[in-house]
Amino acid sequence: MRGVADACFLIDWSRYRRRDLLEKLFNLILIHEETLLQLRSPPAIEYTSSLLASGLLRLYPWSSDDEKQYNKLREEVSLDPRLPSLERPDLLCLVIAHRTGSILLSENLGVLRVTQFHPLYSRVKVWTSLEVLENSVYSGLTDIDSLDEFLEIVREYEEDARHIFNKKRLDTVAKRVSEWLRR
Amino acid sequence: MVEEIEPPLELIQEWEKEDEEFKEMRRSKADWEFINAQPPHIRAALIYFIERGDIYKAARVADMTVGEFDDYRYKARIPNIT
Repeated sequence: MRGVADACFLIDWSRYRRRDLLEKLFNLILIHEETLLQLRSPPAIEYTSSLLASGLLRLYPWSSDDEKQYNKLREEVSLDPRLPSLERPDLLCLVIAHRTGSILLSENLGVLRVTQFHPLYSRVKVWTSLEVLENSVYSGLTDIDSLDEFLEIVREYEEDARHIFNKKRLDTVAKRVSEWLRR
Repeated sequence: MVEEIEPPLELIQEWEKEDEEFKEMRRSKADWEFINAQPPHIRAALIYFIERGDIYKAARVADMTVGEFDDYRYKARIPNIT
């Protein structure tokens, strides 16, 4: 599985006690160098350096065609005052995910919202840490016997990263995990 | 000239409700003693983050990268919410 990671995702995930799950779930994670420049906290630097060293994380070779696509997207969405501000590094990740058919790993609310209505980018699959945890269950990397066990794993993540998942999204994921457990 | 792509009204209304709810969660979980003990530009950036949840702008207010600012967010016990 191939992903593209944004700064907010990597910063939060680097604090998680079971962060090695990501390396087991993905074969390759692409990152833009402008995203890499945002990672200046000690846990995030140490974590991303280890991912780069292992070869899982790789710098994406940005092209002039990518830049054209980014400029178009920026003009389409970045001036809308009703969207949380969309900065260049966030949109670059969305463009890379679209162009490479990768899963976008993001904790950026603005990006998540763009993929809810944009005709082109709604095709991009976006995972927050919640969907990473969910998919680690389906792929057998996280062993659970009940929904409560899954919710405990989510609670651990929330505690480690000081992150809260929106109740509506958590309910949707919990429903999917319950259905999977019943199979 | 590229045309702007607008979100539908029902999504905008849903986001407005979410934004209010998230702001309240950030406010109530924050360690205000820590926030009030910070130098003015960091305090302002943390309060901006509580109000808007926008880490890039908050980092800019604090004159930091996102990663550097996130360390302060973490210490101030302000949750990221998605």
